[in-house]
Amino acid sequence: MDRRKFLSLSAVAVAVLPASLSAIDFRATKPDTWTAHTVADGIKALYGDIKPEEKGVTVKAPKVASNGGAIPVTITSDISAKTVALFQDANPESAVAVFSVAEGGIVDYMMKIKMKASGKITVIVEGTDGKFYSGSQSLEVALGGCEG
Amino acid sequence: MGNMKIKAKLKGDVVDVKVMAKHDMLTYDQAKKKGVDANFITHITAKANGKEVYDVSTSQFWSKDPQFKFSFKGAAAGDKVEITWTDLSGKTVTESKKIK
Repeated sequence: MDRRKFLSLSAVAVAVLPASLSAIDFRATKPDTWTAHTVADGIKALYGDIKPEEKGVTVKAPKVASNGGAIPVTITSDISAKTVALFQDANPESAVAVFSVAEGGIVDYMMKIKMKASGKITVIVEGTDGKFYSGSQSLEVALGGCEG
Repeated sequence: MGNMKIKAKLKGDVVDVKVMAKHDMLTYDQAKKKGVDANFITHITAKANGKEVYDVSTSQFWSKDPQFKFSFKGAAAGDKVEITWTDLSGKTVTESKKIK
């Protein structure tokens, strides 16, 4: 009896745990996002059928990247965000990063990414208002970063 | 020195954090050519004062020895920011740094 009680208790604890932590592993919860080949499929796998408004999201990247192996990309937005997702259309798969934003969190992210060829970076911001916003930046890559 | 270089600076009420982690970030294509398994960081989180301040699921398209920056509110100079990454092989590294 005690053992059974313990088991049911631990099951409850496990079920409650993900809610108490704000960390979300989108690779586990949305596995299809990471294998999608196109930006459209990636966005669909992550958010479903959405029509983001093209405003409020700034994506900064060099217009011409001499080294595709480490391209600095900066995402900023004043939108009160729940999640932020970064896709590009130059690599075999489109997803690069999915951020989950803490309540009152600041959307000001920089990361260095790899791109095989010239292409376009698309960022989707899911607002706490339930709406979706997007921003993008096209760039030329002189030397692809995925071959090495 | 550990795996990560972390810089955390307080400016006004915002903490700016700069991180460089050491990782090969081998994509599936690169790994195939080398005849090894792909391995890259899949998840990065940061905490300050027990609160999550950064959380990102990542793909193989972050650069080798990935560098990233983020900002957050709600910490003071002297507090610690703690960064954790996990890679595809399941390895986890956690390091912390005092906010200046």
